Amino acid sequence: MASMGSLTPGRQVEGRVNKIIQVLKASVFLTSRLFFADPQWLIPNIIAPFIFTMVAFFLFQGQTSGSAFLLYLVLGSGLMGMWGTTIYASANSIGFDRWNGTMESTLAAPVPLSWIALGRVLFNTLQGVLNAVFILVIGLVWFRVGFGLVNPPAFFLASVVTFISLSSFGLLMTTLLLLSRKGGFITNSMEIPVYIATGTMFPVILLPVVYLPFAFMLAPTWGIEAIRLAALPGYVGLPTTYWEDMVVMVLETFAYLGLAFFLFKRVEAYAKRMGTLEEY
Amino acid sequence: MKSTEGRGLSADSRLLMAWRVFRGAFFFGRKGLIIWDSWDMWVMQIVITPIAQIGFFAFLSIYLKYPTSVTQFIVIGNALQSMSFSAVFAVANITSQDKWQGTLPSTMVTPANRVALFVGRAWFQVLLSALIAAAGLLYAGGIFGVSFAEANFVGIAVVVLLTSAAMISFGLLISAVGLYMRTALIVANIFLFVTLLLSGVNFPVSELPGWLQPVAWVIPLTYGTEAVRMAISGASLQSLLPVLGWEALDGLLVLVVGFALFSGFESLSRKTGRFEEY
Repeated sequence: MASMGSLTPGRQVEGRVNKIIQVLKASVFLTSRLFFADPQWLIPNIIAPFIFTMVAFFLFQGQTSGSAFLLYLVLGSGLMGMWGTTIYASANSIGFDRWNGTMESTLAAPVPLSWIALGRVLFNTLQGVLNAVFILVIGLVWFRVGFGLVNPPAFFLASVVTFISLSSFGLLMTTLLLLSRKGGFITNSMEIPVYIATGTMFPVILLPVVYLPFAFMLAPTWGIEAIRLAALPGYVGLPTTYWEDMVVMVLETFAYLGLAFFLFKRVEAYAKRMGTLEEY
Repeated sequence: MKSTEGRGLSADSRLLMAWRVFRGAFFFGRKGLIIWDSWDMWVMQIVITPIAQIGFFAFLSIYLKYPTSVTQFIVIGNALQSMSFSAVFAVANITSQDKWQGTLPSTMVTPANRVALFVGRAWFQVLLSALIAAAGLLYAGGIFGVSFAEANFVGIAVVVLLTSAAMISFGLLISAVGLYMRTALIVANIFLFVTLLLSGVNFPVSELPGWLQPVAWVIPLTYGTEAVRMAISGASLQSLLPVLGWEALDGLLVLVVGFALFSGFESLSRKTGRFEEY
């Protein structure tokens, strides 16, 4: 049977990897459609980081000049945008299934929930880059400051790994919030503290010592350090090298991923057994 | 069948009815808020968000090696601005929440005075916003080292209460927009964050481009941040009066514009049947 009424079944693919890729593609596609259909994502993705960065623009203008400060802000705003989507959209991605009444259909799909969530998280993190592009355009056109990189390949590598680390953190958050009814509280409370803890607009070395362990547990903290070392001439932040930052970030990212997939399996099974996923 | 209740009543009776609606709406708003906002939302609004927001901009100032006076300027501005979530965001979403809960049509068919009804529902937020701003100023002194040695505390209290009330007007104006739009969420968020940029919270309004400065002075918070800094420096209530007068006038004008918008959107929504759209 080629179709069931107006529904066309998905293309059958063989092999585990191909199946995962198909799930990821479908999840990314659906998330992108929801993004354009419901523009409230503009708030954490673009509006909040954009305004924070514009305030920083005015403050920086009084103290610094040249291309380095624009780049510093673009990098910081990009990270804030990605954080915003990671915290709000990714962490709550299963919560939205509850509100929209699509939880059963999602759970009934013959694929692990973690891969569906990963597709959503990847698209959400990518949206955050939009904010950096906005800030870059405003900086170049309105404030007329230049733009240059110290080491473009190293910058590119660090950006990609930071992107992956944020997506992994988003996946971990999704798992942690899967059983919680306090998603709104947790995500709203985390937004600005993680901007601070990861040094989006200033090096974390400025933070009080008690705050540093929290900052160091977040892989993007190392990511933004590596990105700045690769991009900004004479950048002084943590007393670490580019490669040290990269190694710590990769290790923490693996830890996030391992923990997220482990928890997903446990939590999904537990929630199905208890029948509590719809509760909110 | 058209309702004729309220017609032919004397001005005194209409005023009494409006007062009863206002009082009822105030208690309903307070009760609703306490039921719907669990303890964690209160912790978020009163503790976490103000400290984090003040800290973010204070650290930015320290990183940029601004003198302590500039950092304190930023800390005080953000302490007062932290009320916006409650004063603007929560109030702006009143009509949207009615839509989500399916109570908007029932609310709109009542013959109650609209100003009394919606201002009454928002009024509890004045007290909550003032509490949040007071907590913000407490953190400014206790955590971020702002000196209150010469402060005029009566002046600060007046500024905080007036700014809360004036900002509620803005929340109601956005709520009016939410009556016709599917949701006021995005407009409310934009306004919430824009105050960080335009209201003299983090840098003086004079540093904004010329064309943006008049916009800044439309927002009541701009007068509030100026007045609260004056009060902390020890300015007397008398010297605060001109700024407070402008702020009160601004808040009143915004309320009038908001009411006009509300009436317009109510009429438009009735014609197009968009009350329940969200």
